[in-house]
Amino acid sequence: MNFHKILLSILSILFILLNLNAHSRDYIIVQSTTSIANTGLLDLLSSKFEKQTGIKVRPIAVGTGNAISNAKRGDGDVLMVHSKKDELKFISDGFGVKRHKLMYNNFIIVGPKDDPAKISQETDIKNIMKKISHSNQKFISRDDNSGTHIKENALWKLANINLFDNRKYIKTGTSMANTLNVASEMNAYTLSDKGTWIAFKNKNNLKILFEGGEEMHNEYGIIAINPQKFPHVEYDKSKEFIEWLITGAGKDVINNFTYNGEKLFFTN
Amino acid sequence: MLTFEKIQSAIFITLYVSIFSTIISFIFSMFFGYILAIYKFKLKKSIVIFLSSMTSIPPVCAGLLVYLLISRSGPLGWMEILYSPLAMILAQIVITFPIMITLIIKNIETDYPIYKEELLSYGASKKDIIFLLISNKLNIYITVILVGFGRAISEYGAAAIVGGSIDHFTRNMTATIALETSKGNVSLGIILGAILISLTLIISIILNTLKND
Repeated sequence: MNFHKILLSILSILFILLNLNAHSRDYIIVQSTTSIANTGLLDLLSSKFEKQTGIKVRPIAVGTGNAISNAKRGDGDVLMVHSKKDELKFISDGFGVKRHKLMYNNFIIVGPKDDPAKISQETDIKNIMKKISHSNQKFISRDDNSGTHIKENALWKLANINLFDNRKYIKTGTSMANTLNVASEMNAYTLSDKGTWIAFKNKNNLKILFEGGEEMHNEYGIIAINPQKFPHVEYDKSKEFIEWLITGAGKDVINNFTYNGEKLFFTN
Repeated sequence: MLTFEKIQSAIFITLYVSIFSTIISFIFSMFFGYILAIYKFKLKKSIVIFLSSMTSIPPVCAGLLVYLLISRSGPLGWMEILYSPLAMILAQIVITFPIMITLIIKNIETDYPIYKEELLSYGASKKDIIFLLISNKLNIYITVILVGFGRAISEYGAAAIVGGSIDHFTRNMTATIALETSKGNVSLGIILGAILISLTLIISIILNTLKND
């Protein structure tokens, strides 16, 4: 019967394909938060880095929580997220080598232009969170364990508000841009990182109502995954990438990166 | 910015992954479909029922299943195929295989006894009967391929999880549509959707011309 031959040839093709992957890789996998990827910065950094060093960068754009859990399974060489507490825990658990400050911008509160909850006069984030929770306006939450969602929870805690479990509090469970889409359609308030907001195209009736202050600082960290924990990682290439980003030419790429003339990320 | 070149690469990845997954699924379902339809053995009924229930497996579940298998901490992690087109092909096989094999089994189960009765009396071997079944029922197999291919090319979730949606490498059309729509580029998403539908239309026309009426 020919079936055996066909089956054997398929298996051998698969085997050859697998063997091609078996030796040292010429690429690194970066587990990244969506805000760096969706704005287009990561694509730009990847192509520039590849041109200069020949090392390919394959970015996986997921939320911070998802990126960390993927990295903990060993699925990646570099972690690029924005939740300092979780990043430090990642390292103390032995998964990462060292946390480097990559860049920063800030979190913002966006909402309807006419601001029915009257938060734009406030200067203290605590009062803003209180006002939103006491008004009858909707608030859209990421609810996906991303860096922005972790920040949102911290802000509710700071304002001493128990997450109001009612119709005004809407959980999307998706990316920042998608959550902004929902906020835009429902004319509601939400917390966003500034990079995603600037690159977002469906703003409709939304605008920035609050930004600035220490509480709204949004810092991105970068960590090489520990080769002692996962021997398969390309540690030398990861280290080269990180150094290129924080001290080398990558830093200039970040500083010169604009979207419609607006600067999205700043380096230290 | 989404350039023409990016759309081109998304189309190429979509076709590459979906065509390969459909072909591999088809070969496997022919092989195992014939065995399951013709031979009688223990657990046969349970396997057939299990396979037909798997026809409605949600793509995200298939993706998650394959992800857990080929993740570095999973049993097949040593293969290093996570976040590659090969991983996407595997995930799509999990989606398309049950539907294709179920259709094939149904078909052979009804046709094989008829062919067997007539042809065995003429001295034909089992091999000859299977060969005749395949060549005479070509139309049905083309339909099976089209159904499997349709499920593979239209799924979103499976290939996105295991492929990682890496630009120019594993980002297929459905992942591009989801990404652009989530970024607020709704109109672009619709254009990409139209391109995807046109693609499936062209492939469907080509395969339909192969049918012998």
